[in-house]
Amino acid sequence: MNRKNFSVLLVLVMAGTLLHAQEKFYTKTGKIFFKCTKASSPEKIEGTNKSITCVIDTKTGNIQFAVLMKGFEFDRALMQEHFNENYIESDKFPKSEFKGLITNNSEINYAKDGSYPAKVKGSLLIHGETRTIETTGTISVKAGKPVINATFQVLLSDYKISIPSLVSDKISNTVDITIDGALDPLKG
Amino acid sequence: MKRKKVILLSVPVLLLLSGWYGYSEYNRRNKDMSAVTVDLSVTATDLIKKFEADETAADKFFLTKKEFIVEVKGNVKEVKKDEKGYYTIVLGDTTTMSSVRCSMDTTHQDEATAIKAGNAVIVHGAITGFNKDELLGSDVILNRCVIYKSN
Repeated sequence: MNRKNFSVLLVLVMAGTLLHAQEKFYTKTGKIFFKCTKASSPEKIEGTNKSITCVIDTKTGNIQFAVLMKGFEFDRALMQEHFNENYIESDKFPKSEFKGLITNNSEINYAKDGSYPAKVKGSLLIHGETRTIETTGTISVKAGKPVINATFQVLLSDYKISIPSLVSDKISNTVDITIDGALDPLKG
Repeated sequence: MKRKKVILLSVPVLLLLSGWYGYSEYNRRNKDMSAVTVDLSVTATDLIKKFEADETAADKFFLTKKEFIVEVKGNVKEVKKDEKGYYTIVLGDTTTMSSVRCSMDTTHQDEATAIKAGNAVIVHGAITGFNKDELLGSDVILNRCVIYKSN
């Protein structure tokens, strides 16, 4: 093999490694925000978690999230305690997970900067209950890295989380959930 | 007569006290980790080992309490600033993928700016759980963290 051929081969091998390395992207600092405030409520029932994990396989369209329930922060400590103890029971069910597929993955060009609608379908585990959910979010590719954003609704009753009648004028059964995160390439 | 007077006087006092208690409970904010008594003082590697050895037992030990506050001593592997400007200090042994990830309290973000990889730090934070992942490495997650000491 002469020097020129060897250089070409080296470039191809390096490009192959690079492409392979950028199939999967992840974040451990994704954000999730939820609100379930009824219009009649004088106080906002909402919480944020800043440490969610997300992995996307751009080749297959597989997408996964993991959320630790004790990581939700509220304005008021009492609300946070009630969320963990009475509603989500985070000592029994410490984690929520989503495992799904970007069904229109072939329409997303991860190599080209831009904003793409992403149709996602999968199973969402909360409070020990799993339900299928479907939503359309956005994947924005910025400097070759995907930034995800999605908003969807779930019903507390679907996940066997009951609202005591005493607070039923404050807490809505419908929860609005927003997820976002900037993902980095997963090396190795 | 005297007894009746005492009872009559104690009713509004009790009402005021319970009202004050209810109001202060309703408005209570989360504790600032820079001024708390910790439940456990531990090294980052030992904390990871506790979860890796038996996740169910560790979950029960750390997550049953309202809030389990730990003092974690360890080496900084990485200081991560996310797209919204929030800091996470990653502690642990650089030879393994497992870490203790300390998400900084929103009011203590500036403390993280001086921290660099390789520093030895002591962090206070509330344990939120363990994320086991073979692909990404397993992490113990701490929330509302403050830097207690660094060098």
